[in-house]
Amino acid sequence: MSGDGFAIETVDLKKTYLMGLVKVYALRGVSLKIRHGEVVSIVGPSGSGKSTLLNMLGALDTPTSGKILIDGRDIAHLGERSLAKFRNKKIGFIFQSYNLIDRSKVTKNVELPAIVAGMPKKTRDKRVHELLDLVGLGDKADRRPNALSGGEQQRVAIARALINDPAFILADEPTGNLDSKTGEEIQNLLIRVNHEKNATIVIVTHNVELAERTGRILHLRDGAVEKERVGIFSQGQVRESGWDVMAEGRS
Amino acid sequence: MTALDLVGLSFGALRERKMRSGLTVLMVIIGVALMTSINGLGGGMNNFITEQLGTLGANVLIVTPSNMLGGMQQSGMQTKLTAQTVRTIERIQGVKYVIPFFAGAGTLKSGGETKTVSVLGIDQSKLVHITPKITLESGSYVSLGDSSGMLLGYSIAHPSNLNKPFAVTGQTVSIEFSIVEIQGGVEKLVLKRKAFLVRGVASELGTQDVDSMVSVSLAQANAMFAKGGVYDGIYVITNGPDDNDRVEAGITKVYGKNIGVMSPKAIASTIQDVMGTFIGFLSAIGAVSMFVGAVGIITTLYTSVMERTREIGLLKAIGYTRETVLLMFLTESFAIGLLGATLGLIFGVVGAYVLIGVMPLGFGQEISISPWFSVPDLVQVFLLACGLSVLAGLYPAWRASTMNPITALKKE
Repeated sequence: MSGDGFAIETVDLKKTYLMGLVKVYALRGVSLKIRHGEVVSIVGPSGSGKSTLLNMLGALDTPTSGKILIDGRDIAHLGERSLAKFRNKKIGFIFQSYNLIDRSKVTKNVELPAIVAGMPKKTRDKRVHELLDLVGLGDKADRRPNALSGGEQQRVAIARALINDPAFILADEPTGNLDSKTGEEIQNLLIRVNHEKNATIVIVTHNVELAERTGRILHLRDGAVEKERVGIFSQGQVRESGWDVMAEGRS
Repeated sequence: MTALDLVGLSFGALRERKMRSGLTVLMVIIGVALMTSINGLGGGMNNFITEQLGTLGANVLIVTPSNMLGGMQQSGMQTKLTAQTVRTIERIQGVKYVIPFFAGAGTLKSGGETKTVSVLGIDQSKLVHITPKITLESGSYVSLGDSSGMLLGYSIAHPSNLNKPFAVTGQTVSIEFSIVEIQGGVEKLVLKRKAFLVRGVASELGTQDVDSMVSVSLAQANAMFAKGGVYDGIYVITNGPDDNDRVEAGITKVYGKNIGVMSPKAIASTIQDVMGTFIGFLSAIGAVSMFVGAVGIITTLYTSVMERTREIGLLKAIGYTRETVLLMFLTESFAIGLLGATLGLIFGVVGAYVLIGVMPLGFGQEISISPWFSVPDLVQVFLLACGLSVLAGLYPAWRASTMNPITALKKE
């Protein structure tokens, strides 16, 4: 049964679009199931459809055909307003380039999703400070993003992603702009968030080390899941793993 | 999302681009200030004209030698206004008094001071029929046969630039004037001088024309200005304002279009028409500058939308709906309009006083006009500015609200 027990399930997800006169097949029928609390990385070469898939899971894009079931609810054909509400309540986004608003203080950046959710100011302030403590920026609440290092900016973005207590965190190359040491700190933070908040996390990454640390790796090629590796994930370490070739994923 | 949150977000964005936001507000200020000043100026002029003609009785008609309307002579012919004209008009039904006058100008001297004045030669016992409110501050009117008596208008006797009277009742003053005389077969401009005794000083009427005039007897004006019995004009007092049209028709019936007959009402509307055209022209400039301000808002916000594409993408990704993004940008344009309109009104009111000080409104004469602002006009300009600002913000706001979040987030 579709959706039963799964946080995310896609059924034969296809996306085609026209680039000039050329029809581009961005996704060629992706079916996958992700459990609650899982940390999944999506890897693959550029143009393999990783970001397109992540955008679909994040309700930023709609598929040409197929289903996207989030907590059993098909979001593929929701209207603009419902999608916006869904993104606001259920999803926390983390981007490669942080996407912070430079004119606003760290606190304002973190509370942005809570403002539109209608969270009262008092609750908002309390949550913002809790989250800044969680990401280790409690003492930099009143700074502006351009006065922070790259790693610190990504921490602000993570706090922002968590403000509405979303069930899902979708991260697009979260360590792509960071040096390896800072990247590792962000990896650790994401794993911690997964543990402490029990959020389901999907990460698109080129970072092999980060992918290795997630419980499951989906390898995309030419818009389809080429292979998948599931490990037994425990306390930040993958104890057991092996690649499964997903031939039926291609169409 | 509360209104306060919305205002907070919008003001944050405006503050980030202080210079650009400030210049856009300035554009709105200029438009609103211009409109406000012009309105105040027009209101002040209208009041002035109404006030000036208001002291003339409602049953007064002014007959002039030619048919002038709006400063343009309507017919090539002129009628010589003589004692015969007076007798003819007296016989028209509805006429109560016919009061002819001579007009001239000269330089009045008293002590060491001089003053340029208009001189009116008229039967002063009848002045009360022309300006019913006239009273004397001191002395008496100049009688019909008095060849050396003079009545001073209030502002002649009490000029605002002197802290003592220019002249008082019983004092001798002299007047210098020029007339054309034939000397040796050719016409020549000759400077003359004549001494007068101040018989009386009129009380302040509030009407520039009457207050700044000196008046002598009819016969004396005829003699000194060499008018040869040809009047410069005739005041016709009717039995009542209802008779004005009948009397005007009666005069026109006799003299056709070769004579001018005007009632104060007609004069007021003629002057107000001319003023109205002038003020209308200025208002058009004001309106154009308001539209330029609106275009300024479009440019500023559109540039801002383009610069903030990634930010808009982010907002949409984290759950801001089209309506919320639209509202955010409209709040920005409304804030620019509100600030511009408020400051514009203040500068406009101040500006009207400055403008009235520097504009040559008196055409050489010393007149005082105060700007006058009507509250509905001010409200109208204010609402127009705010409305135009929101309207100007619509397109940039719509562009922002319809952005695709994925494309917007990818923008470098």
